Amino acid sequence: MDEEPERAKRWEGGYERTWEVLKEDESGSLKATVEEILFQSKRRRVIESHEQVRLGMMRHLYVVIDCSRSMDDQDLKPNRLTSSLKLLEAFVGEYFDQNPISQVGIITTKNKRAEKLTDLSGNPKKHIDALKKAVDSVCAGEPSLYNSLNLAVQSLKHMPGHTSREILIILSSLTTCDPANIYELIKTLKSLKVRVSVIGLSAEVRVCTVLTRETGGLYHVILDESHFKELLMMHVKPPPASSSSECSLIRMGFPQHTVAAPTDQDAKPSFSMSHLDSSSGPGLSLGGYFCPQCHAKYTELPVECKVCGLTLVSAPHLARSFHHLFPLQAFTENSVEEHQGDRFCQACQGELKDKTIFTCTSCQSVFCMECDLFIHDSLHCCPCCIHSQIGP
Amino acid sequence: MCADDEVSLLVIVVDVNPIWWGQQAQREPEFTLSKCLDAVMVVGNSHMAMARTNKLAVIASHCQDSHFLFPSKSWRGADNGGDDASSSGDGKYELLSVANNLIAEEIRNVMSKSEYKGNSTETLLAGSLAKALCSGQEMKSRILVIKAAEDCARQYMNFMNVIFAAQKQNILIDACVLDSDSGLLQQACDITGGLYLKIPQKVALGQYLLWVFLPDLEQRSQLVLPPPAHVDYRAACFCHRNLIEIGYVCSVCLSIFCNFSPICTTCETAFKIQLPQMVKPKKKKLKQPT
Repeated sequence: MDEEPERAKRWEGGYERTWEVLKEDESGSLKATVEEILFQSKRRRVIESHEQVRLGMMRHLYVVIDCSRSMDDQDLKPNRLTSSLKLLEAFVGEYFDQNPISQVGIITTKNKRAEKLTDLSGNPKKHIDALKKAVDSVCAGEPSLYNSLNLAVQSLKHMPGHTSREILIILSSLTTCDPANIYELIKTLKSLKVRVSVIGLSAEVRVCTVLTRETGGLYHVILDESHFKELLMMHVKPPPASSSSECSLIRMGFPQHTVAAPTDQDAKPSFSMSHLDSSSGPGLSLGGYFCPQCHAKYTELPVECKVCGLTLVSAPHLARSFHHLFPLQAFTENSVEEHQGDRFCQACQGELKDKTIFTCTSCQSVFCMECDLFIHDSLHCCPCCIHSQIGP
Repeated sequence: MCADDEVSLLVIVVDVNPIWWGQQAQREPEFTLSKCLDAVMVVGNSHMAMARTNKLAVIASHCQDSHFLFPSKSWRGADNGGDDASSSGDGKYELLSVANNLIAEEIRNVMSKSEYKGNSTETLLAGSLAKALCSGQEMKSRILVIKAAEDCARQYMNFMNVIFAAQKQNILIDACVLDSDSGLLQQACDITGGLYLKIPQKVALGQYLLWVFLPDLEQRSQLVLPPPAHVDYRAACFCHRNLIEIGYVCSVCLSIFCNFSPICTTCETAFKIQLPQMVKPKKKKLKQPT
């Protein structure tokens, strides 16, 4: 037996007298305490890990969805499968928003087998359409952890070394049916530097604990639907890159969008290369992005050119990831009575009504709670520091 | 038309770079900063007059700081006791005359009192846009930028952060450019879905603002507006600042180079270079004579 870290389990006294946290105010309402708890959970997200860690920006992620009999359970409304698929659609959207040059693939497992729903690709629409269609599928049988991991690894092991290889498993069943020893597969995963994370929907399963511990991933079990969403969104941020991942220069193309005018004599409408696979949308178009190396036409970026293999992106796609590389420091929290200056938030010019105010460590400007959340979640730069910064 | 209680905020960001406006006053005395602000006040008043729930904010973007011209802190804090400030002789709607007076007073304060350190002559637009985004959070809003001086290359990253935050919040950024084309604003308008227009005649600024930029998103579908500009999305390499079509991207820090180099200059990681495989010549086994 390998050594497990000491943890206080719930029945061993890890939780004691939890009712003392809640305090009533004069009129007997718990509103202030509830707001305080919500506020603390929002702040926790902001404070976590702002150190200078090298991150894996180009990610190849496989999402494995358990489609076994236990997904028919109705503890998540309307049933576990529908709820998970809906949350995964939101996850795919957020993922491509934060990691525009990464790829995702989806695998489902049921009846002791695993099959690929979608291949690894950088186009979010394909995945969202596949997830929508999967709602009608029948949940039957037992899942197979070994088979789904094996299927994912078959494609991941061919990916170049500078990208991060990840698998995210959503497991609701407490059993798994494996054709071979899964501990051997875990050793293989570790040697191939694949990082596996699991989100459990029922309870903690020891095999998943070992799997995630050995490969360096995260294992959580959900409490309810909002917790499920929070755990999924945790995986949107790029993970710290392992120390042995290679760094290399990747050759990329930056095509221009050209539109031929209809009056131009040589202008002929043409098909784009992405229409070879799918027949959705208008086929012929006059404008598009032409690969700088082979002049194949595409309607959307980012894409990997099918003819010459060059990755095509546009500069804003790379710019979207910059805020991960230069993260904003968390602001210091003070109480509003200690603050001597004007009672105005420097960003939105509103009055400081909350009990706590936030001060930027470099420019000492004061912000209210809403602006602080907005700055850290979406904006990623302090509005007052911009005025004095000499950015890259 | 939108629902009665839907609040719609218009934030006007005016570039008040003193160097550009000073030169402009000498080049073309018919169009000065005060004429520009007259046009801004006209469009602000029109927006507030369109619906009772419309709101306005005006930000002046200076070389090293940005100030809210309207609503200003002094108006918020004081009660409306000042009769002489609010009453205008011609029976105008009180809110409009208060707004105009405040904008005029604040811009005088800003231009006369702003201290000016250092040599930078470029307007820091990204900061004003960030403040505009923070102020328009709870309601439907859009931003109109009136740009005079040239782009500041230093603020590329902050500018892109602001643009992506605006896109996430569904806030449109429109741009009205007076002098030279701005690549950053063209990208901003393209990504957020706003309108970009370079005005051929500066004197008619008020007319262009009313025609093109006053209608909001739902009404724009019914109008024939200037066609979108061709945006150049090519990246600039970090070594020479040239626009390139094929480049090399460092996988750690995402900096773009035009030529292969063994070390990334931004994050100083050494890259692995793929060497061709050495093929060993096969040794022939000599047959033993029996």
